[in-house]
Amino acid sequence: MFGHKDKEVAFFGKITAGITHEINNVLAIIKESSGLLEDILAVTGEDTFPHKEKFKKALKRILGQIQRGVAITNNLNWFAHSSDHSPTSVDLNEVTEQMVLLASRFARLKNVGLETGPKDGPFIIKTHPVALQMALFISIEIFLDLITSGGKITLFPRKIQNNYVVGIHFEGMTADDANLPQAIITSDRWAFLQETMACLGGSAQADESASGILLYFTET
Amino acid sequence: MQNLKVLLVDDEEEFVTTLAERLELRGIQARSVTDGEIALQMIETNPPRVVILDVMMPGLGGLEVLKRIKAQKPQIHVILLTGRGSTKEGIEGMQRGAFDYLMKPINIEELIKKMQEAIKSQP
Repeated sequence: MFGHKDKEVAFFGKITAGITHEINNVLAIIKESSGLLEDILAVTGEDTFPHKEKFKKALKRILGQIQRGVAITNNLNWFAHSSDHSPTSVDLNEVTEQMVLLASRFARLKNVGLETGPKDGPFIIKTHPVALQMALFISIEIFLDLITSGGKITLFPRKIQNNYVVGIHFEGMTADDANLPQAIITSDRWAFLQETMACLGGSAQADESASGILLYFTET
Repeated sequence: MQNLKVLLVDDEEEFVTTLAERLELRGIQARSVTDGEIALQMIETNPPRVVILDVMMPGLGGLEVLKRIKAQKPQIHVILLTGRGSTKEGIEGMQRGAFDYLMKPINIEELIKKMQEAIKSQP
């Protein structure tokens, strides 16, 4: 798996990272321009500018959206740069937190909450970051496919004996709630998840006790 | 900060001219330029006390401009501007003599604070 495909992923990463820099520059210009308007408003009297408050409110909204845009491009930039070095050492906590942010829109479309569990660690492993992110995303997608609407998916990185593990658990109702572990392993994406984890030298298991998936990574 | 002379160097013209206008509204003498080579000429003929310098520029890159400023006028403080994914260049720039670095989009109050710190540290 890691050969020509790695170069393709690196290519996508490089182009995406370049675009995020460009978007960041656009946001910087919008921020300075709206800042300049705020500066001018601050020295303009109420009587000479009848709609001053409305302008201030609109500028505040623009600033809020700039901050939102910056957060999104930061996450995208981080994601794009993850293909720069492979394999490399990563902290499972950091990767799961970033994946939660990147996948939040997909969860939001199903009214599903997506979060990381209590933080422990750091859990440093040497791995292929893009394949690791893909494994986490496929796991999230498996749940999103099974969920009708609502509930919460939580990702828990932790250490069990000599293995680093990410548990992906779901709280809420699914179409096949009576047998969620069975629904997980018969889902269309399960084989792909196992294949991805095998490429990482790990494995995926359905967690029968906690309505979830366990991703095992071997310590290196 | 009144009458402080600052040179802003960034290839994004609209960014750099708008930022210069905002600094001028605060009493700072801000000039702007979009090219590293021209920036070095301006520094030679009319040196500012602080240079705000973008790391990622076409032609003469920010780190090279920094190196030449430090060789030409070591007393000038340089504050670098980096993208979110370019903190490595910011740290490298500080190792090469930059006073500090800020990530774009910047906060103007934070920039002014950094400039004040730079001037205070100036011998």
